[in-house]
Amino acid sequence: MNGTECMKISDVDTRDAFFDELFRMARVDRNVIFMTADMGAFSLERFKQNLPEQYINVGVAEQNMVSVAAGLALGGKNVFIYSIVPFVTLRCYEQIKVDLSGMNLPVTIIGIGAGVMYGGDGPTHHALHDIAVMRTLPGMTIINPTDSVLTEASVRWAYNHPGPVYIRLEKGKLPLLYDDRNHDLQKGWSEVREGQDVVIFSTGFMVHTALKAAESLAREGLSVRVIDVFKVKPLNEPDLIDMMLRAERIVTLEENSLIGGLGTALAEIRADAGCGVPMKRLACPDSHCTIPSSRDSIHRHYRLDADHVAERVLNWVRNNRETA
Amino acid sequence: MTEKTNHPLFRKAQNIRIKTLEMIARARKGHIGGSFSCTDILVALYYGGILKFDPQKPAWPDRDRFILSKGHSCEALYAILADCGFFPEEELSRYQQPDCILGGHPDRSIPGIEADTGSLGHGLGIGAGLALSARMDGAGFLTFVLLGDGECCEGAVWESAMFAAQHHLSHLIAVVDHNKMCVTDRLEDCAAMEPLAEKWSAFGWEVREADGHDFCQLLSVLGDVRQRSSRKPLMIVAHTVKGKGVSFMESRLEWHHGVPKEAQVEQARTELEELLNCERN
Repeated sequence: MNGTECMKISDVDTRDAFFDELFRMARVDRNVIFMTADMGAFSLERFKQNLPEQYINVGVAEQNMVSVAAGLALGGKNVFIYSIVPFVTLRCYEQIKVDLSGMNLPVTIIGIGAGVMYGGDGPTHHALHDIAVMRTLPGMTIINPTDSVLTEASVRWAYNHPGPVYIRLEKGKLPLLYDDRNHDLQKGWSEVREGQDVVIFSTGFMVHTALKAAESLAREGLSVRVIDVFKVKPLNEPDLIDMMLRAERIVTLEENSLIGGLGTALAEIRADAGCGVPMKRLACPDSHCTIPSSRDSIHRHYRLDADHVAERVLNWVRNNRETA
Repeated sequence: MTEKTNHPLFRKAQNIRIKTLEMIARARKGHIGGSFSCTDILVALYYGGILKFDPQKPAWPDRDRFILSKGHSCEALYAILADCGFFPEEELSRYQQPDCILGGHPDRSIPGIEADTGSLGHGLGIGAGLALSARMDGAGFLTFVLLGDGECCEGAVWESAMFAAQHHLSHLIAVVDHNKMCVTDRLEDCAAMEPLAEKWSAFGWEVREADGHDFCQLLSVLGDVRQRSSRKPLMIVAHTVKGKGVSFMESRLEWHHGVPKEAQVEQARTELEELLNCERN
C-alpha cells in the first residue's frame, strides 16, 4: 500500500494527500468519477489501475471535460476534474459559468499549480488570476488549502458539498499547520498565530510566508496575528469583519494578482462594513511573469518572500509608507 | 400537396410554427429563423414516437434526455413542451415577461428542459456525460442533442465528438440542424464547414443524412435508435432551411433574430395556415 494510510500525514506531499483521500472515497462510492485533461500524478496511478471505470482521461480538452462532468453530475455522479490551474479555470471558464455554476452541479475542479508554483514554465502555467475570476461565479466555493491535513479534509468537504467547488492544489510538502484530519472547513478560516499590532490575512502557500514574516517581525517588537483564509469563497464575512474592526492594521498577503484576489475581496467587505482600519495589500503585480526562475526566486523578485514581507510590513507600520 | 405536407405530423409542425410566430411577435424578440428550421426535427422527436417522456413526470428516471444545444431556438421547443403538457399553454403568451418561466434561452427551471443552454458548444459534452452516466448505471435511456450547424464552428463541439466516439456512446444521438447559415453570414462564406457529414464520420460517428423537413425521412433515420447494433454515436445531419415555412423568411439571414412587424405576422400566419388548409382539403 503506497497511500497515506501507512504514512504520517506530515510525510505526505499535499497533492498525494488529496489523491489518496479521493481514491479512498471513490473505492467505497462508485459514483465518484475522476476526470483529467491528460494530467497525471504518481498518487493517481493506483486510482487508474484499481478503479478504471471511474477514471477518465479526456485528453487535452478542458472545455469538453467540464461539459461532460456537468452531464455526469446531471446523471447523479460526484465528479472531480483535474488539470493545471489556468487550463481548468480560465480556458474553460465559460463552461464552468454556464454548466457548473449556472446549474449548481456537484463538480469539484482541482487546479494544480497555485500562484507561480510552476516557476520558470512561465505565465501560461502561472495561476495569478484564477481566484479573481472564479470568485465572481455564483455558488462557487473556493478552497485554497494550506497543508496536507487541510488538503485531505478538502476532498471530503467537496464530496459532501452539493454545488461546484474549486480547489487550488499545492505540490510538495509544506509544514503542517493543522492536526485534525477531520477538520471542518465550514468556518472558512483559522487563526494560525496570535498577535495584536497587525493582522495578516493570507491564503494557501503564502500563509507559511506570513508566519515566517511574523516571526521576524516579532524580533522587531511587532506582534502579528496571522489568519489563514483557506476558504476564499464564500468568505465568512461576519467573522472577518469582526476581526478587521478589532485590528490596528490589516495586511493581506497572497499569491494572486493584486487585482481581484483575497485582498480585493477583503477590501470589498471592509468598505461595505465602513471599517476604516488601515489596510495594505501584498500580492503579485499586474503583469505577466516571464522570469525563468523558481517560485522562491519569483517571490523574491516580487518582494513576496518572508524577508521582504516583513520589511514591507515594518516599513508601513513604522514609517506609514512602503517604498517600491 | 406534396408527400411532405401530406404527412400526419405536418399539421402539428405548422401549428407549432404558428405558436412560435405568435410568441415572438408578442414578445418582440426571439430567434424565428432557427426555430422554424428545426421545428420539424423537434416534432419528429416529440410526436413521432422517438423520444420517451412523460409530461406529468418530467423527472421520470427512465425518460430519454433531450438537450437543445442550439438554445436560441427555444421558442419552438417551448411551444412543443406546452402542447405536450409539460406546463400550461398560457405560459407561451407571457414568453419573456418577468413573471414567466420561459426566458430567451432554456434553463432547467422549466419542466422538460434538461440543461441550461444558450451559449453554443456545450450541449454535446453535457449529453455525452449524461450518456456515459447512463451506461455506468445500466440505465436504458437515450440521450438526444440538437445542434446548430453554425454551432459546429465551436471547437468544443469537436472535443465532445471525439470523446463520444472514444467511449462508444452508441446511445447518444445528435442531430445537426444544417440550415447553412449562422447569424451574419452564410456558413460557406465564413467557415469551411463542408463536408459536414464526412467530418462527423471522420470523428468516429455513424452519420445519416435526411431532409430535415421531410417526416418520412426523419422518422426513417431515427426509427431504429433503440435497436442499433453499432457502437458508434449516431449523428443525423438534417438538411434544413432557415425560416422554413414562411416565404419571405426562408434562407434570409435577417430572420435569424428578426422580429416580424404586424403585416409580416399576418402574412406569415396566412402562409402557414394556407398549407394547413391545403392539407385539410
